[in-house]
Amino acid sequence: MANRESYTYPSNSGFGNDAMQGVSSAGVTVSYICGECASKVALSKNDPIRCSSCGHRVLYKERTKRMVQFEAR
Amino acid sequence: MGATKKADAADYEALRELFRHHVESFDHLVDRGLETMLDKIKPVQIFDPFSNKTLKIWFAKPEVYQPQKEGNSKMSRDALLPHECRQAKISYSGKFIVHLYFQYDNGVAVLEKFNFGHLPIMLKSKLCHLNGADPQKLVSWKEESSEMGGYFILNGLERVVRLLILPKRNYPMSMLRNSFRDRREGYTDKAVVIRCVREDQSSVTVKLYYLQNGSARLGFWIQGREYLLPVGVVLKALIDTNDHEIYASLTCCYSEKYGRGKGVVGTQLLSERAKIILDELRDLSLFTQRQCLQHIGEHFQPVMDGLENESYTSVANAVLQDYFFVHLNNNYDKFNLLIFMVQKLFSLIDQTSIPDNPDSLQNQEVLLPGHLITIYLKDKLEDWLQKAKKLLQDELKNKGENFDFSSLAHVKKVMDKNPGRQIGSAIENMLKTGRLVTQSGLDLQQRAGYTVQAERLNFLRFLSHFRAVHRGASFAGLRTTSVRKLLPESWGFLCPVHTPDGEPCGLLNHMTSTCRITSFFDSKGKFRDFVKIRTSILNVLIGIGMTPSLPKIVQAGPPDVLSVLLDGRVVGSIPSAEVEKAISYLRRLKLSTTSGIPDDLEVGYVPLSFGGAYPGLYLFTNPSRFVRPVRNISAPEHGSQNIELIGPFEQVFMEIRCPDGGDGGRTNEFPATHEEIHPTGMLSVVANLTPWSDHNQSPRNMYQCQMAKQTMAFSSQAIHFRADQKLYHLQTPQTPIVRTGAYTKYCIDEYPTGTNAIVAVLAYSGYDMEDAMILNKSSVERGMFHGQIYQTETVDLSEQSSKSDREQRMFRRSNTDKSVRPWIDSDGLPYVGQMIHPNEPYCSVYNEVTNTTKNHLRKGSESVIVDYVAVDGKSKKILQKANIRFRHPRNPVIGDKFSSRHGQKGVCSQLWPDVDMPFSGITGMRPDLIINPHAFPSRMTIAMLLESIAAKVGSLDGEFVDATPFASSTTKTNGEEKSESELLVDQIGTRLRKKGFNYHGVEVLYSGVYGTELTCEIFIGPVYYQRLRHMVSDKFQVRSTGTVDQVTRQPIKGRKRGGGIRFGEMERDSMVAHGAAYLLHDRLHTCSDYHIADVCSLCGSILTTEFVQPQRRPGREIGGLPPIRAPKKVTCHSCQTSRGMETVAMPYVFRYLAAELAGMNIKMTLHLSNGAGA
Repeated sequence: MANRESYTYPSNSGFGNDAMQGVSSAGVTVSYICGECASKVALSKNDPIRCSSCGHRVLYKERTKRMVQFEAR
Repeated sequence: MGATKKADAADYEALRELFRHHVESFDHLVDRGLETMLDKIKPVQIFDPFSNKTLKIWFAKPEVYQPQKEGNSKMSRDALLPHECRQAKISYSGKFIVHLYFQYDNGVAVLEKFNFGHLPIMLKSKLCHLNGADPQKLVSWKEESSEMGGYFILNGLERVVRLLILPKRNYPMSMLRNSFRDRREGYTDKAVVIRCVREDQSSVTVKLYYLQNGSARLGFWIQGREYLLPVGVVLKALIDTNDHEIYASLTCCYSEKYGRGKGVVGTQLLSERAKIILDELRDLSLFTQRQCLQHIGEHFQPVMDGLENESYTSVANAVLQDYFFVHLNNNYDKFNLLIFMVQKLFSLIDQTSIPDNPDSLQNQEVLLPGHLITIYLKDKLEDWLQKAKKLLQDELKNKGENFDFSSLAHVKKVMDKNPGRQIGSAIENMLKTGRLVTQSGLDLQQRAGYTVQAERLNFLRFLSHFRAVHRGASFAGLRTTSVRKLLPESWGFLCPVHTPDGEPCGLLNHMTSTCRITSFFDSKGKFRDFVKIRTSILNVLIGIGMTPSLPKIVQAGPPDVLSVLLDGRVVGSIPSAEVEKAISYLRRLKLSTTSGIPDDLEVGYVPLSFGGAYPGLYLFTNPSRFVRPVRNISAPEHGSQNIELIGPFEQVFMEIRCPDGGDGGRTNEFPATHEEIHPTGMLSVVANLTPWSDHNQSPRNMYQCQMAKQTMAFSSQAIHFRADQKLYHLQTPQTPIVRTGAYTKYCIDEYPTGTNAIVAVLAYSGYDMEDAMILNKSSVERGMFHGQIYQTETVDLSEQSSKSDREQRMFRRSNTDKSVRPWIDSDGLPYVGQMIHPNEPYCSVYNEVTNTTKNHLRKGSESVIVDYVAVDGKSKKILQKANIRFRHPRNPVIGDKFSSRHGQKGVCSQLWPDVDMPFSGITGMRPDLIINPHAFPSRMTIAMLLESIAAKVGSLDGEFVDATPFASSTTKTNGEEKSESELLVDQIGTRLRKKGFNYHGVEVLYSGVYGTELTCEIFIGPVYYQRLRHMVSDKFQVRSTGTVDQVTRQPIKGRKRGGGIRFGEMERDSMVAHGAAYLLHDRLHTCSDYHIADVCSLCGSILTTEFVQPQRRPGREIGGLPPIRAPKKVTCHSCQTSRGMETVAMPYVFRYLAAELAGMNIKMTLHLSNGAGA
């Protein structure tokens, strides 16, 4: 929720929209959910794709924290 | 409803039955099939002239393993589960290893292991991890709780082997076919054909042709060629016999004391023909068995591999053993069968019996997946062995003494040049493409189309793939309709309703819900020992008066005695007076579990008749026959156990009554011995789901079967774990209020297909004309018929990259290009939940070599939402593969297609707001849906009306209404009951009235627009409606200008490419008829290939014009003024002048025509003139 401020409408010039999920010492990480044990996995650019707790190799990306707007009709 | 009850595997038992033939045939393959098949492959022998040693190689033991993950040098290997294969787009296959025996001369045979790659494993088979898992386990493995298996997963796609109709095995069938005449000079169109099947399921068809001179020729196929032999030669070669015995055997079915009475098959012409057959032998000067064998051996030595150095006699024996009546092992049996076939052939000629119909189910069986794989695998393994032999021989030839033949390691090294892994991939390819790549044809009629993709559009479609039986691709092109006919023989086995209309009509049938296919396993899952079964049948037969057929005993023929054939072997003859008793005894033994007679034994008794089918008693125990259960009412002493399995061959001659109380036109002389269990047994599962289908006009039920399979429904319970290319999903499905027994039996509630909509039948506002329908906009907004399409894009970087820049690409967002940031996350993949519009990027791929980032852009004209992004780290360290699933919202819009369950389809024409809909005077309810009353009179879908009022009652009472068709036919009538339809309507009507509603289901409605009462009472009630997958959003096409064809410059076709719809000559005609000349000109010229051509008026050519580059003048820019336009840019090449140049507007194709004509040396000239005066 804390990242909501960083949202700008996509039609914007496309700048400043860098949804930083978390900037750690390793750089930018993206968080995934393990397909087997459903635990959260944060991976940075060159990490091997596998769950840290169970070793499963299929990970699902977490839903974005950015505000998503739909036409409700 | 017990909502908390845990799903039990037993709940799905009925469903499992529907898939069982697929799974069991594969189970047999891995259990025994491979072993028997390997046994039947002949050993190869290689002789080394240097060391004077002979090496014999043959197959021994197969091993197939469960699917396992490709471990990265890990010792412990994990199980590979089907859902992982679906997601990772890989194949569900297990390691396939075969042991081979190597033996030098007569030394010790050494066993060696060979790796034959990976064999695809059928889901839920014995080698599948899901085998025996209960529903909870299945769900934890991300499968459907009702997963039934029966298909393969290849590259993530689910593929099913299509059931194909084959001629019934081991049954001599008399046939008329014009193509027989073309074999050779003197052949007639008559033949007796038998498809003999070996124990390993491979088959050889043997044909016995009749010749115009009264003789017969035997034709059989060896390696894709047909060889013809005089029947006498084979008769004599088979056993040691003499002319007299052959003569007596052939003519035994003729006796002078019967004229042309009942059941007589022989005539006095028989002896003439027998003489001709024997004369032929004499003309060839073949008198003894030895001479005949030599004759055969001489001719067949070139085609028999591996017997080049054998004697003629052993070659001939090999021919007779391997290609002639292969289902029999004994030459005496083969002799007897051949005699029987000759008699049947001659009876066909003399018209004492009629030909068998090859299109009738009576003479058909089915090709099962396991059997198909077995015979294909056998072919491949044989090829492999032959190739290995050739490699070794070549090695011997090339290297000579340097090749250490006696060392097994060296031999293996040479054989490894012919990698065994190809075998596994060959099988996988066959299942992937459905194509057989083979030299011999495997005695099958088609090369392609053996597998289909099991689409999960909805559960009914998925299920139908496993129940469908195809007649064969070769019949699809046939101009005659006789193969498509619905024949009475298929009653109870194939559904008369469930066949598509149009091109595959009648060729693609569906098995009825009760129809099963026999397998190698009995009902308790135990493997059947056919040898034991046959002996016990034989003992029973002898016990009840059959004379066993010993060699050289000449037997009489019909009508005195009937021949008894057990699985294509003439086992004896039974007096025709006693046969009926014997049969009812056999049938009683079938019911008993302890008799040793299998419950699915087919007792095909063809009775004596006046020139009907050739009489006899034909018993079948083999697998892959159709069977269905009926009740045996002639054996009441068995009481509880009186369900008998019968096949289509015997059914034709059985008396089976329907429990509707009628006698079915049966007389007292032929009382019914059997009874149908339930009339719905004649319908397929899908057809069984139509409520009260017995009240509908039959074509409407057919349409419903079609539409049920294209309904957008709840397609899968594990939808989140699926990565199908396209997946339809209905958001708010409901269970139908009115349902049939089959609905609960087959657990269709797991995958509901529609919505109970309140349907008013009235002509309201004219927007419901011609099968259009008005939807209540507010209902739709509350979620009715909401749905979406899931579409998965798999981006596999390791796959698409060429070998040069392999491993140099990865998912990464460009650091420099900030314009993609709104769409692409820092990992190069889209944000989940985000909407992506057309031509916006959804992932970025960075190429390390070129240091560039390529964005993948969304195609199409639709905005989509990212549903999930799954990354797969299976292959490499860095991310190479991602599944990105998009969601296309598909909520109802004008133009979407809906249908009830009664073949009543319509297109939504308006979405009306709630307030404008008419409302009921009593309840105030507004309909969800309005259809036109004109939908009923001509279509006569009475069941839809019944469904409407029944569902009304049901919803008032809060209970489901049973709408099983033919319900009245199951209750035994006691004579004075009323007819059923009156009962049903009365029953519903009274209940409606009790609840304060109109008896007939009509209500007073008020106009939503004016608030006035409608002049008529309106028929209104809930009807289960399906949303069909045909939606405008996937279909609309619009274009004014756009892409054009390169050659003609006319608009292209195809929605995907932004093309147009053809405005053809018929459309043109109607425009001409309307005098709409301007419009026509606009459509066909201005909006099409409008072109201004330069024409030379001097020579009249449009092709000789050429542009002249305006010459640069030095004083070009004097005074800053633009130079005057070069006056004549175009000149005529042939006239060498630009004097006569004119411009003419014309279609571009005209110019193209001129060019094409010029290419054919035809000159086209235009005579230009000005205005009308010319």
